[in-house]
Amino acid sequence: MVDAARQPLIEVKTFTEVEKVEGFVGNFKVTLREKSKYVRADRCNGCGACTKACPIEVPNYFEMNLAPRKAAYVPMSQSVPLIYNIDMDACIHCYKCVEACGALEAIDFSMTDKIVEEEIGAIVVATGFSHFDPSVMSEYGYGRFPNVITSMEMERLNNSAGPTHGALVRPSDGKPPKNIAFINCVGSRDKRYNPSCSNFCCMYSIKNAILVKQMHPGTDVTIYYIDIRTPSKGYEEFYDRAREMGIKFVQGRPSEITEDSETHQLFITGEDITLGKVVEREFDMVMLNQAAIPQPDQNQMSSVLSVAQSPGGWFMEYHPKLRPMDSPTDGIFFAGACQGPKDIPASVAQGSAAAARASRILHSDEWHIEPTVAVVWPDRCVSAQDKSCGICSRACPYSAIDYTQGKAAEVITAKCHGCGACVGECPHDSITQLHYTDAEILAQIRTLLATEPEKKILALRCHWCSYGGADLAGTSHFEYSANERGIKVMCSARMDADFIYEAYRLGAGAVLFSGCHPQDCHYITGQVSGSKRANRLKTIFERMGMSPGRFRIEWISAAEGDKYARVINEMQATLDAIPPEALKEEIERLRPEMARKLTRLPNIPGVQQALDQTDEIIQLMTELHMEKV
Amino acid sequence: MSEDAIAKSHVADFPQDEPRIGVYICHCGSNIAGVIPPEEVVDFAGKLPGVVRATDTLYACADSGQRQIKEDIKKYGLNRVVVSACSVRMHEPTFRGCVAEAGLNPFLMEMANIREQCTWAHGHDREGALAKAKDLTASAIAKVSFLHPLDMITVPVSKKAMVIGGGVAGINAALDLAEQKIPVVLVEKEPTIGGVMAQLNKTFPTMDCSI
Repeated sequence: MVDAARQPLIEVKTFTEVEKVEGFVGNFKVTLREKSKYVRADRCNGCGACTKACPIEVPNYFEMNLAPRKAAYVPMSQSVPLIYNIDMDACIHCYKCVEACGALEAIDFSMTDKIVEEEIGAIVVATGFSHFDPSVMSEYGYGRFPNVITSMEMERLNNSAGPTHGALVRPSDGKPPKNIAFINCVGSRDKRYNPSCSNFCCMYSIKNAILVKQMHPGTDVTIYYIDIRTPSKGYEEFYDRAREMGIKFVQGRPSEITEDSETHQLFITGEDITLGKVVEREFDMVMLNQAAIPQPDQNQMSSVLSVAQSPGGWFMEYHPKLRPMDSPTDGIFFAGACQGPKDIPASVAQGSAAAARASRILHSDEWHIEPTVAVVWPDRCVSAQDKSCGICSRACPYSAIDYTQGKAAEVITAKCHGCGACVGECPHDSITQLHYTDAEILAQIRTLLATEPEKKILALRCHWCSYGGADLAGTSHFEYSANERGIKVMCSARMDADFIYEAYRLGAGAVLFSGCHPQDCHYITGQVSGSKRANRLKTIFERMGMSPGRFRIEWISAAEGDKYARVINEMQATLDAIPPEALKEEIERLRPEMARKLTRLPNIPGVQQALDQTDEIIQLMTELHMEKV
Repeated sequence: MSEDAIAKSHVADFPQDEPRIGVYICHCGSNIAGVIPPEEVVDFAGKLPGVVRATDTLYACADSGQRQIKEDIKKYGLNRVVVSACSVRMHEPTFRGCVAEAGLNPFLMEMANIREQCTWAHGHDREGALAKAKDLTASAIAKVSFLHPLDMITVPVSKKAMVIGGGVAGINAALDLAEQKIPVVLVEKEPTIGGVMAQLNKTFPTMDCSI
């Protein structure tokens, strides 16, 4: 901690929140809110005279609210940087602190939050984790029974810098406990709250048990566990040491804690798996080993950074094995528990790894980004013909399109992120996206539907989420109908209405329109554009009398392989439920309506050639198919 | 690629060169070949217009697989490449790099995902998986014919890092970056850095102090 503050190249900004992240790799613009401390950092010398003078006491979150702090405070004596804060929610404006500060004049009640912008090349996100609140588990009585405490409360009680100066006492009577139980997996490996394992808590309870035994050798310590997980270097030996010290291990998750309301003694009831029977044991004090959960503001940070979340809410890495430190956004990296629960050695290792990943960029004079950007055909843009439009400019999440009536719209390449929202929205087909042109995508759709289109489910998926979801379905071997045929574009915003009309004109059985969840969008509001268009199409198809379920909209993240497989299987079931003759009749009935929507399609540059060339492929594929049949 | 060059590249709305496509169907050991016979996809792909070379390969991503693609580009004068193998999230950079080494623009390579999105998901329906693998390969062949050569866009780099979160991971990342002479802004929402670690007493397995 102190090293970081001493290092001249590190500027530590505490009490500061990230409000906005704009830009792209090498060129992020980050907006920070430096919240007002009401104490000037350039003048405060950390003497603490303001704290002594302050008459107001409020609970200290740092001490798990087991001890008070003043309204003029630092969370702990070793705070870095050692600059005091005035808690304005608690302050009564008596100005005793100002008086105590005297000639230093460090306290300044006129201070306000400061908004600052930073130009940043690469970002390491290390926002950590939070703790599960066990008060929702009424069977353990936390919050009702004073002697049931959490692991973090134990941490502070057993700490020489903590509120009791390291004296371990029962909250009910202040007496040292002689007989303590630790319960593991509180809120973790529990399908009601968090099905996953919190990674470090087995070791964590063993550590606390050893500490209690070391400091109070006469104390009896029992750990209730489901499994003991000690896979890293030196961990199993640590577990051995605990057993050698006489710490008892009982396998079985306790079902209930009850209390004697007079003595506040606690009784744990649970199955002892080794004995094969339900046992009740008495304890002076019980520690609940809380699950690690994502930070309360993790969803908000996920939106600010435009990065997706895995099941359970943790930030989602680009690839769990190949790129575990990378976010899906180039130039943003993860370190530590924000990506999933981790212990200290793993978090430190990830900090170094993320720094190494980021330094590849930061040591380079220039960086390369994919050229899948949008380009305007100036001769097709109606604005150039002095007509009012600007739809592309409004659709762009990055303000990357200059629109002035009378001039063709112009894409500012450096600002374009390549989502294709402008291309999907342009009613005059005057913009295209490199590597995802209409010609290219139509060629794909036509080939995929070349034979027996009525049996096929055409799935349009975005690169970042739904394509990843389909990958995960495969990686997890979740089986789904092999009639699915996938197309990838960068964002659901690129999923042109024409693609879907063409798919139905060709006789597709069903079409899936799938992208990320709104808060996960890699392109800020790309999904919103896609979603609006998809819903518009849904209404059109309903009016046309299309059978329900033949057009389906689903938002599927890269972590939802199970959902992808389920959706495809449900779509297959929907198709199976329509009698083949009825489906055929419906396809034929709607074909002319779809064709009417597509009359302008061949005018789009490149599309006529694509249609001609794919006709050739389709004919060949049909012949090969007929041969086989 | 400059903005001018990008503007020019789209002017050619339709690639003018006659496609000479090489198609590589990966076995991925038994990951693909255990469900479908790759040679049947090869036979099928070989008949499609523009395909001048179609073959199967045990591991397209291995040195030998990549060497074959590079040699074929020269031997058959390939100007487009289709690799039917795994997810683009796995090996698109690999095969883009591979064709680039043989002098082909990396954006003239297209992958068909016949592993994650085919054989791994349709083990229960081998016939269906084979039909899908053929369609996905055909679709990539169709797309690749229309692709334009593209160059990466070059952007400048602001030589400053931001670390969000001043816990043990963030502090360590900030120190490592600063020791490489990279200026770092370390942002922490609480009044002190240290995170959860600072609240801990001793830490396992060495039982040393946390701060």
